[in-house]
Formats: sequence, structure tokens, C-alpha cells
Amino acid sequence: MDQHHHSQLFEVGGAQVSRLEDVRLITGNGKYSSDWNAPDQLHACFLRSDRAHARIVSINYEKVGQIKGVVGVYTGDDAKASGYLRSANFLTFAGKGGMKAKVPDRPCIAIGKVRFVGDIVAMVIAESHLAAQDACELIEVTYDDLPAVIDPVAALAPGAPQLHDEIPGNAPFEAETGDEASVTDAISKAAHVTKLTVDCTRVTASPMEPRAALIEFDATNGGYIVHTPSQGVNMTRRQFAGYTNLAEDKFRVDIQDVGGGFGQRSTVYPEYISMMIAAKALQRPIKWVSTRTESFLSDTHGRGNIITATLALDKNAQFTGLRIDWLTDMGAFLSPTGPVSHIRNPSTCLNGVYKIPALYGHFTVALTNTMLVAAYRGAGRPDIAYAIERVVDAAALELKMDPADLRRRNYIPANEFPYKTATGSTYECADLPGLSAKALALADWSGFEARKAASAKKGKLRGIGMSTVIENTGAGMYPKDEIEISVDAKGLVTAHSVAQSQGQSHETTFAMVISNALGIPVERIKIRQGDPDKATTMIGNHSGGSRTMVGAGTVCHIAANKLIDAGKSLAAEDLGVEPSQVTYSKGEFSSKQSKKKITLAQLATKKTLCVRGEGTFLSTFPNGCHIAEVEIDPETGVTDIASYLSVDDCGHVVSHTVVEGQMHGAVVQGLGQVFGEHIVYDKQSGQMLTASFGDYIMPRAGQHLKSMRMEEHATMSKVGPLGIKGMGESGCTASLGALVNAMSNALGVKHVDMPLTPAKVWKTIQQTKAIN
Amino acid sequence: MHTFSYVKAKSLKEAGDMLAAHADAKLLAGGMTLIPTLKARLAQPSHLIDISGIAELTGIDVKDGKLTIGAGTKHVEVARSAVVKKAIPALAYLANQIGDPQVRNRGTIGGSLANNDPAADYPSAALAVGATIVTNKREIAADDFFQGMFSTALGTGEMIVKIVFPVPAKAAYEKFPHPASGYAMAGSFISQTAKGVRVAITGAGPGVFRWKEAEAALGKKMNAAAVEGINVDSTDLNEDMHGTREYRANLAKVMTKRAVAKLSGK
Amino acid sequence: MAKVELKINGKPHSYEVEDRTLLVNLIRDSAQLTGTHVGCDTSQCGACTVHMNGVAVKSCTVLAVQASGADITTIEGMAKNGKLHPVQQAFTECHALQCGFCTPGMIMAVAGLLKDNPKPTDEEIYHGLEGNLCRCTGYINIVKAVKKSAELMGK
Repeated sequence: MDQHHHSQLFEVGGAQVSRLEDVRLITGNGKYSSDWNAPDQLHACFLRSDRAHARIVSINYEKVGQIKGVVGVYTGDDAKASGYLRSANFLTFAGKGGMKAKVPDRPCIAIGKVRFVGDIVAMVIAESHLAAQDACELIEVTYDDLPAVIDPVAALAPGAPQLHDEIPGNAPFEAETGDEASVTDAISKAAHVTKLTVDCTRVTASPMEPRAALIEFDATNGGYIVHTPSQGVNMTRRQFAGYTNLAEDKFRVDIQDVGGGFGQRSTVYPEYISMMIAAKALQRPIKWVSTRTESFLSDTHGRGNIITATLALDKNAQFTGLRIDWLTDMGAFLSPTGPVSHIRNPSTCLNGVYKIPALYGHFTVALTNTMLVAAYRGAGRPDIAYAIERVVDAAALELKMDPADLRRRNYIPANEFPYKTATGSTYECADLPGLSAKALALADWSGFEARKAASAKKGKLRGIGMSTVIENTGAGMYPKDEIEISVDAKGLVTAHSVAQSQGQSHETTFAMVISNALGIPVERIKIRQGDPDKATTMIGNHSGGSRTMVGAGTVCHIAANKLIDAGKSLAAEDLGVEPSQVTYSKGEFSSKQSKKKITLAQLATKKTLCVRGEGTFLSTFPNGCHIAEVEIDPETGVTDIASYLSVDDCGHVVSHTVVEGQMHGAVVQGLGQVFGEHIVYDKQSGQMLTASFGDYIMPRAGQHLKSMRMEEHATMSKVGPLGIKGMGESGCTASLGALVNAMSNALGVKHVDMPLTPAKVWKTIQQTKAIN
Repeated sequence: MHTFSYVKAKSLKEAGDMLAAHADAKLLAGGMTLIPTLKARLAQPSHLIDISGIAELTGIDVKDGKLTIGAGTKHVEVARSAVVKKAIPALAYLANQIGDPQVRNRGTIGGSLANNDPAADYPSAALAVGATIVTNKREIAADDFFQGMFSTALGTGEMIVKIVFPVPAKAAYEKFPHPASGYAMAGSFISQTAKGVRVAITGAGPGVFRWKEAEAALGKKMNAAAVEGINVDSTDLNEDMHGTREYRANLAKVMTKRAVAKLSGK
Repeated sequence: MAKVELKINGKPHSYEVEDRTLLVNLIRDSAQLTGTHVGCDTSQCGACTVHMNGVAVKSCTVLAVQASGADITTIEGMAKNGKLHPVQQAFTECHALQCGFCTPGMIMAVAGLLKDNPKPTDEEIYHGLEGNLCRCTGYINIVKAVKKSAELMGK
């Protein structure tokens, strides 16, 4: 991953490209969801609640008739009539004391009551999107306002406004992991205890492609044909089935390009379900393209966890116990992926990279009058790592120790892997002390004081921070991952997958794996993702939880080898030998015995050359140490990242170019949360104050981070034959801690919550001045 | 967007007549504020009168110590104009800080002044330099033109034709952009002439305003230390989730200090 | 309704559209050139950037009727005779795109930037990209691609 790795370039259509998908994407020939159109299509527009919590007294849509081209208006009555009342939920494990999650209904259009600003009140269908928009504005809704609760702590307090009658106290679920008694004991006997509460703020994924859908009723089977951004067709079809009570095979989900996902596109949204009602009733395709404002209001949010970490240390600064109290704000309903990921992932990595004998985690889910929270790049992993890496720094500050030294004393030693944690998970392999030592040396950790003095001379505050993290990649919802691979008469290889890239470069990396196995150039290999004709029979996971290279990517290798074996049997006849006497190399089967040869293409003209490979994979455990140095202008509170270094263990790397790109993107999404991104609702009115890019602070070019240095310290995973560890999210996971640790160090404070906007940083400096 | 009728005016007179004829019409120049406002359905004009093709609204020229810029001049044209760079380089610099390249390629100086967004850049230059806003009906001094948030002295049927900037001896602009929108959280434009120093602050308050204490202090001594001991009164400044009024007061001061340093070549 | 006659990628087009139709909708819906994308409604993301008479503009903030008589270049018009435009070439070589959604707007913005400033400094590149958002790349490779484009165009 470091500087000497040059881009792997391929020759496609006479151009040098670093990825096979690039040619269509840079020429404007990509096909995203809003690029699909159907003859005779109608357009949907959603009327959304402009209040946080209210009873719907009446909806009057008489006036929409004034608008030419309006075809229909759908309300909660239609949702009720359709029976589309409950979205899928993947929370399957039992909670505290065996409790089951109370999952509230979420009708596809609000029935009787709205519960957050942006909740769907009505859907207008018209001949054009402008007409649908005009008509929406003419609908008159009478509301009876109810008190709203925005803050999750307030939502759980006695007397709080109640969102759902069937969920008293707005508390649908509580879970625990580890052993509370042993942690309490460790804390009581500790030489030192550090306690820290951090707000891992609510943010939104903001993929650049707004949500969109084109939905058609399929009269041949009573199902639907859907084009919409997805992270994997199977998971999407399963959720459609769950919402509508139709069989999964009634849904033909056909997609090509997805403009970013980051977890937000793993959820099926009620808009699509509402559109199905209209598509069936009107027997015409319905198209909807979200505005960005709607995206802010109605795309699932991420993070939103308030975490208290209590760390017990003995007199040698060894960690003896860690208690995590975790409050997760899920918004007005439970999203399919939110509760499960925000509890399971942190439980799996509750001790971070440290050897801690006593662990206990307590998770409380709260409902608030806000948009739903779901998986967002890391989904609980960045949050737990952030809380742990912050409390460790806070402990070092209190003990006046070097944070690097405190970590060194507590890392799980390399020879103790596979390491079974006190919450029952097994970290596969890592060399944390080695990885961290390498990072400290490369970052010149010990030379920091001189750099700080140089910054001080310029009137700047400098800080350094490190974060060492490990995380589990997703094991998947489906029992296995399949890849179908076939060869045509031209010798072109096609591989089918049901995982869906949203920018992760599957078309290139899968082709590289197959190219390696078959010994043919990547340009001869075409990857087709989510082909609707294959999806109904292929088993496989969506792209989420950094799992795709570990799963589907590895199966590309397995399937390619299976293809060679199948080819040997078929070739044996032609070569006039036994299959065991056939060898394969670079697209050609041959036999020493008969001195004959046959190419893949020749064989494919005579025989069907098509196999399906499969594999089942547990989680891998990518890990890394990131070190950031920041420089703050105290006059304005503006922060510059003076340096950012990462040393990562992603196991075997298929494409360094792609891994570097993922790491850049993930680190910058992390720094986006650290320095600016924040979904803010007004605490009283429940209005969203950050519903545009004019108020939601997205990272921009050159802002904060101008370059980063990346190095590797790999240990090979044995989860799959290639040694891969999934790494799409680990940059997010490591960067929150590294950056906030550096900022706390620069500001000389124990903790300051994100987002560290210039205004917040300046205020912190003023407060610190006032104290000193 | 609501529906409206689009009309293209060929001359100043035609535009004026159209404005007079339609009470709910709006002028469309670059459209960089108006079109997003329409898209958000926050305005419902009956007509949009496109004034982008009117020759009388174009042109940059300097004569007798006065820089005249046509209202329809785009930000990019001001930013790159050799005439502006020579006469008031701070104004060319300011124009290059507005929005982003695509916005600068369309947005106009007249549009910016007529809109008088409290966080826009141009009003600070007009006020600090003491510009004259020439309309199709009269001439308005900048001191009288800006009347608080999105409000100006422009009357019904009145449109800006050109802006006349007296060329100061020296001028400088420094801006702290809002981290999301890029508008000024605080911008300070300093202009120094034989008559004294004027400092106009944009972005921090509900409208552009002169910081008279700084003017007095800098009139005595043009260096950053001169404003060290004084502060912008934060009472009436803007406060929102992006920053307190104290922060904005601080930014106004820091931007002023930086503008002073630039102005005095330090 | 308004009649809009314009050139897109060198070819004449003529459409009857509502006065309130945006240029981006004319390009995407009427001309069916879907390479130009819409990523926001407040003119901040730049995904819709096209060239209008040789200048980069956000086509979501221009009325179609305002573009009457104009010469529009979209991403589809950048490659000539089957050869990628240097900015396109640089974007793929530098892995400056992941999901690709912001990419057409980015490429058009970069082409606009380099037209005015063929050898931009890092700071000038950041300033020149202020109107474009990318969520995947963290911009590091995009900035590299701008430099690479400048190099390829200088050849």
C-alpha cells in the first residue's frame, strides 16, 4: 500500500485503465437507478410530514385535481388496505433475560400518526414529476400536534412522549454481553478507574446518488420488477418479500450501477413499497427520484450512539476490566439493519485490541422522533473502537503516561491468537505489537515534541493521536456465497455474483482473482453482478460489513479452479486421455500423454463449460494502527491534518490500488464525522437543521487531509484460501479515534465531542483559557 | 419549482417595462440564488425576466479614479479583469472567493448586491469603498443601499444597472467561509483613502455593517495591533448551530486583522 | 411552454419544454444523455456540471430556456473518435473514481479548471474543486488526477 506500489493498469478498448468498470463510468455510460425509464411510466412524489410527532386528523386532496396529469393520491388508508405494514428486521438474537425485540409496525405510508419530520403522509402519482410535485403542495393535512422527543436520553426518561402504544417507555430492546459481576469486581479492586462518555454522533451516509426507483407490476406473476440502488439483490428481494408477504421469487431486482452505499443502501425503504401499491393499481411503471433534501430526511442515518466506557487498571497499568454502557438512538422505528449491527458488532469487539479479562457490555435501544438509524460504514465497529481508543487515551492522560506505552502494555500478544475474548468471540490473527511499533516508528512518535514546538513558534497548537483497532467483517445473512463462471466460444469468461458493488470495484478485483486462477488476462473476464435471471437461483450475500472480497471474491478463486477441474474432465475425451493426465495452463488444456492441446474457447464451442463455486466464510479480523497529527489555528479554530499514517493488516491484498482507494475514502468519511458532519434536529420542534449540503458539512477536496501514508503489516487469514481480510470499513473505524485523540492532545482536554468544527474548537480553546 | 413565464428582455427599457407590467415578476441574471430559491419552492414569481443579454448591463472600465462595473458582469469576469486587478485588486480577489467556479461562471455582481444576502461577499466591498449603485431610476450610495437581511433601497420596478467604485488608495478583503455552504461566516473588507479608513463586515450579522471602532483605530495606525484591543459588539450578530455570536465577533476581528496585514503588505 | 434550440456535443437539438424545466432535465430526459447526474437540489454537489459555451456550469441551476442557442458539452461529448479526453484518461489511471456518480461532473469541472489554468498548484486545485462533492475517494486521487490531466494535456 505504500508509495512504491503503482497502479495496476489494464488495457481496455485502447485505453489504460486502472479498473474495468471505469470506461463506462468516465464516459457517462454508467446506468444508475434514475437512468432507468420505461415506456408509459408515471412519476411519484411524496408528501412528507413537516412535524415531528402528530396525529393525522384529516388529509384533504380535493385540490390536486387542479393539476393536469395527476393520476392518483395514496395515503395511509391504502397502506392499511394493502397490508404493507411491517418492514423486515434482522435482529434475531435474544436480549437481556431472553427478551425479544418489540419491533413496531412501519406502514409504508403513515397511518393515523406521523413520528418524525419526513415521515410519508401521502404519495401523488402523475404523468410528470413536476405535476406530482405541484399536486403534493395542494394536499391539505390537518394535524393534532403531540409532544416530540428528539434526545434518546430524554426518550427513556419517565414521562417522555410515547412514540408507539405497544412500546412503553420508547424502549424496544435491551441486550447484554459478558459478565457484569466480574467487571464490577475488577472496577472495585482497580488501582485506577477511568470513565468516559462519548457521543458517536448521528450522521448520514450521503452517497452521491440520491435514492431512486423504477417499479413495474409484473402481471405474469403478480410480482414486481424493480430498479433501485441496492447492496445486493438477494437481501433486497428478501426485504421486499418481508414487507409485502409475497414470495421472494416475485421480485425481479435489476440494477447495474450503484452510486455509493455505505450501508444506507442495504435497507428497503417504504417509498418503494408504496410505489408497488400504485404500480399494481394503475398497471403502469412508477418512477421516483429523491431530492437531496428528502435524502437527508428519509435515508437511514448512521451511528447515533452515546457510549460510556469504564476502564479498570491495576498498578502496572494493565487493563483488568472494561464496562461499556451503550445507548443507541434508533429513530422512530427499527430499521432492518440498525439494531442488530449496533449491538452485535460492538459485542464482538468489546475489548478492542486489548487483553482484558473481564468484559461487560450493556445495550439499550431508544426510539425518538427522528429518522431511522441503520448500518453506516462500520455499523457499530467505528463506534466501539472510538469509545475504547478514547478511554485509553483518557486513562493515559490521567496516569500521565505515554498513550503508546499504555497501549503497548495491554495489546493482545501475537502468540495468543486465535484469541478468545471475554464476550466469546474469536479474533483470528494479528500482530498488534508489531503493527503498532511499525506505525510509531514511521510516524516518528518520539519526535513529536520538536514538531509541536515548531508549530507553537508559528502560533499553532499541535497534537498527536493514535488508534489501534480490530474489527470483525460480516459473516453474512446467507449460508454461503456462490459464483457462477462460464466460458463462451470466444474464450471470454463470465462470472456471476449476487454481491453488488456500490463503488468497491468488484468487476476488477473479481476479474483479477479469476485471471490469476485461470492464467488469462483480466480483459477476457467479465463480471456480472445481480443478473436478475441468476439471482433467483444463486445464493449469496450482499456487499456490506466489508465482507465481499472475503466471501464472493474468494469464491471467484474456488469457482475458477472448479472450472479448470470440470474442463479437464471434458478435455480428456478430446485429448484422448484420462482426466488425471490433463494439465491446464493459461487458457489451455494439454496432455503429455497424447501430446494434444485444446483451448478454453475450443472446448467451450463443443461443450457447456459452466460451473458454480461456493464457500462459507466466518468473519475475518482486519486491524490497523493509525496515527494522526493535527495543527490548529487558535484564532479561528481551523484544523489542518499535518500528517496521517496508517499501518494496516488486511491479510492478502488483491489490488493495492483498490485497497488504497477504500482506505482514503473511509478515513475521509471518518474525518468528515470528526470535523463537521452531524445530523441535527431542533430539540423542541424536531425540525432537521441540516437537511442540505449547505448546512451538513461534507468533506471537500483539500480540506483537512491532503495526503496520507499507507503501509501494511499483514498476517494472512485462514478463513479463506486466499488469506484476504475485508477492509472496506476499517479506515472509518481507525480514523475517529486517531483524529479525536490528536485533537484532545492538541487542545489539552480529556475529551471533546464531535463534530470538531472550527466554532467548537475555538470555543474549547476559550474555555480552556478561562480555566487555566 | 412553481410555474412561471420566462421572458427575455433585450434592453434595459424593455426590462423596466416588463417589471412595471408584472407586479410579481422577478429579474433573472445569473440565477445562482434565484433558481435554487425557486427549486425549493420558496418563491412564486409570475414571470422571470431574463436580463442576461442586455448590453447596457455589461462592461468594466476605470475613469477619473472610478471603477465602473456593469450589473450583469459575472464574478469570473471581475476576478479575471485586468482593469479591476489594477484598480482594486481586493475586489478581484473577493470575486474569486464567491461560491465555487461554476457559480462564479454564472453569478453577477448586480444580482449579488440586489439580493443582499447577509453572508454575501460583494456588499462588504461596496460598503467599505463607498460605492454608488446606479439603477434604472437613480443613484444610491452604498451607505443607504443595504437595509438589513435580504433588504435594499431598491424600489418596485427598479433594477441595478452598474456599480461605481471610487478607487481607494489601498484595499483588502479576508473571508472565513462557512464550512458547508462556503458563504462568509465573517468577511472583512478594508478600504483606505485620503478621507480615512472604512471597514465593512459581512456574514457575521443580519446584514453588512461598518465596524466604526476599527475604522477609527486603523485610521490612526494601519496595523493589526491597532484592532487587538477592540471587539465587534456581538449583541446583534448571528447565532446558529454553526457558531455563536461571540465566535462570529471573533472571526470578524481576525479577518480584519488578516486583511490589515495583507493591505500593509505583511 | 418554450422552444429550446441548442447544440449538445456538436449536434443540434430542439425541444418544447415547460419554462421551468432545468437544463439538466432537458439533457437527461429530453436528450436522454444520462451521463450528467443530479446529486443535490441546492447547487452544491456539482454532479450536474456541463460546459455551456465552453464554461463549466451547474446544469441544475440553469433553466433549459436560458441555454437556448448555447453550445453544450456533456460527459458523453468528451471522448473524441474513440479516444478518451485526457481528464478521463487521468481519472481512470489515478483511480480517481469509485462509484462513479460524481465523476462526470468532476471531469467536466476539472476540464473547465484546466482550460483556465493549465498548471494549477495544489491550492488552486482545491479552490477549483470547491463546487464538487465526492463521497467515495476522499479526493486524494482526484487531486492526483487533476495533476495527471495537466501533465497529459501539456504533452
